[in-house]
Amino acid sequence: MDTLLQILVNGISVGAVYALFALGYTLVFSVLGVINFAHGALFTLGAYLTYLGVGGAVGSNGALAGWALPLALPFPVALLLAGAGCALANLLVEAIAFRPLRRRGAEPLLYLITSLGAGVVLVNLLQIAFGAEGYALPADALGDLPPVLSLAGARIRSVQLLLLLVCAVVMAVLTVWLERSRGGRALQAVSEDAVTARLLGIDSDAMVRLSFALSGLLAGLSGGLVGLSVSIAGPYFGIVYGLKGLGVLVLGGLGSVPGALLGGLVVGLAEAAVPGDLSGLKDAVAFAFLFAILLLRPQGLLGRPPISKV
Amino acid sequence: MVRRPIRRSLPWLLALAPLLAACSRPAATLPTTGPLPVGAVLALTGNASLYGQDQRIGLDLARAAHPGQGRPLALTIEDGGSDEAGATGAFQLLIRRGSLALIGPTLSQQAFAADPIAERQGVPVLAPSNTATGIPQLGAFISRVSAQSSVIAPLSIDRALKLLPGLKRAVVFYAQDDAYSTAETTIFQKALADRGLKPLSVQRTQLNDQDFLNQISAALALKPDLVVLSLQAVDGGNMVRQLRELGYTGTIVVGNGMNTPNIYPLCRRACDGLLIAQAYSPELDTAANRAFVQRYRAARGSALPPQLTAQAFTAWQVVAEALARLQSRRPLGGLPLAEVRRELNREILAGRYDTPLGPIRFTPEGEVIQERFYVAQVKMAPDGRTGRFALLP
Repeated sequence: MDTLLQILVNGISVGAVYALFALGYTLVFSVLGVINFAHGALFTLGAYLTYLGVGGAVGSNGALAGWALPLALPFPVALLLAGAGCALANLLVEAIAFRPLRRRGAEPLLYLITSLGAGVVLVNLLQIAFGAEGYALPADALGDLPPVLSLAGARIRSVQLLLLLVCAVVMAVLTVWLERSRGGRALQAVSEDAVTARLLGIDSDAMVRLSFALSGLLAGLSGGLVGLSVSIAGPYFGIVYGLKGLGVLVLGGLGSVPGALLGGLVVGLAEAAVPGDLSGLKDAVAFAFLFAILLLRPQGLLGRPPISKV
Repeated sequence: MVRRPIRRSLPWLLALAPLLAACSRPAATLPTTGPLPVGAVLALTGNASLYGQDQRIGLDLARAAHPGQGRPLALTIEDGGSDEAGATGAFQLLIRRGSLALIGPTLSQQAFAADPIAERQGVPVLAPSNTATGIPQLGAFISRVSAQSSVIAPLSIDRALKLLPGLKRAVVFYAQDDAYSTAETTIFQKALADRGLKPLSVQRTQLNDQDFLNQISAALALKPDLVVLSLQAVDGGNMVRQLRELGYTGTIVVGNGMNTPNIYPLCRRACDGLLIAQAYSPELDTAANRAFVQRYRAARGSALPPQLTAQAFTAWQVVAEALARLQSRRPLGGLPLAEVRRELNREILAGRYDTPLGPIRFTPEGEVIQERFYVAQVKMAPDGRTGRFALLP
């Protein structure tokens, strides 16, 4: 029983991060129909910004060696500021890697290459600035919370609960905003049909920028949370999450917000269910599971089948 | 219609042919003037860039300390990335440019792919950090200054048992997709079994893993009192932190991949008490090591040099001294490149060197013979940010 609970908690907390990450992909995909491959790099940037925000100092090898902010912010503030920083960075990515191509009506494959290039440049800039070493957020970043809680025999790290809580809140706020607010409905209208939305007076370009800003915010938040949970494993650590997020995006259904949530949880639980002594194979198991589901439902768990016009 | 473009481009192709041929072929003889080219392939990007960074510092310090006697040496460092493709590409590039010897690559995993390329072309390779079993056995031109895991790893198990003779329940973790980790864990597991501590569980991870909750939950359910890690610095640092956070209070022995101060920012206070066997100690009291530590501190501040930096320094020193001896016998300029490389390899293997690692020499196969190894315990400073590998008596 306690083993099952442990698997559930581990799987859901990891899955929540995957979901948050994939949601960033989803927002851009639903509006532009392309994937922003710089998302993993923004995730990494979010982790580094959070680290700096809580007063972390740069190591001895980067161009900023030894540098630190003169103040140490509380973790929630640092996380939000990191999210905002990533939102701005993603707007820059949009302006450099997407907008010029969009104006020329370029093929979707070209966006893939330009966004990948933007991501690689960003990661290399991080390496130049911070060096290749890893960083961990201080253990007291969560204040007086004990690092581990016991629940019915299962050991749960406080940071796992925090991950769950933040992901749940962000998902709920985003869902309500998309469904109820004027801006959210405008964004949905553009994702349905940009031309019709423009005829209805919606500024499509502004909606594209909004989706990039929100997507960057989500990447930054998830990067900061993962940085707190498992440390920042150097400038390349977003790559793994980038791949997983892509899998989650496809599994949940391209462009589906609830699909990203469900996909994240399914992948997280599939990984957690792999027995400990075989856990080196967890990626293989998770992706095999994804493959099997896509054979049965090619549009993903909550995706809509494409409509064929005749 | 088909012939015209070919006819048009034929003169261009003919004009470019000598240029292409020159690019693809190394100079046949060593020039009579100018510096002697030596190449290094380090992981400066990717997950192993943490190690490449330390090695680059070692090479920079070594170049200043051993600029070369006779003709000066010119070092070209190529980024081999952190995978096999990057290392093989960098090897090919440096060999084509006429390097007399190559230092690198950073990872054993890369060496198994890249070293055979140098071996086939008769270029000496001196590995500063490859510890997996079988590296010098890749060929006559392959040697290393990094002692293999099978010599070093069991020392830390012995020391753990000496400190706590009652240890009974061991659990082992290793990265199944990394040549170093898989080679070292075999040695660790054999050492444990030989000492009556057959592992209760062997947990496999992957190099890029950062979240080990599942493996740790499974391992802690067995109530271990000894955990042995064969992981690289980043995943290892994360593992130690998560082990401690999830309540593990027993002894942790770590392998060579975590033999770098770069683990301190990852596991912070949780690094305290880690046991590790080392091929280098900054506390070694010899003239060569004191000079090296002094140089390191002059360049890098108060910190002590890590093993990877010392080994990279040593690799350059070996190549520089071997080339100096060769030049003292006869001028190398004008000799066929293949002959210079062959003689340099012979000279590297025949020499004795007084290095920061202590006095070293090589077996005819290219394996380093080193007199002293060490077991250290990590002692973290009260702030939990900095620490040191304190040598155990």
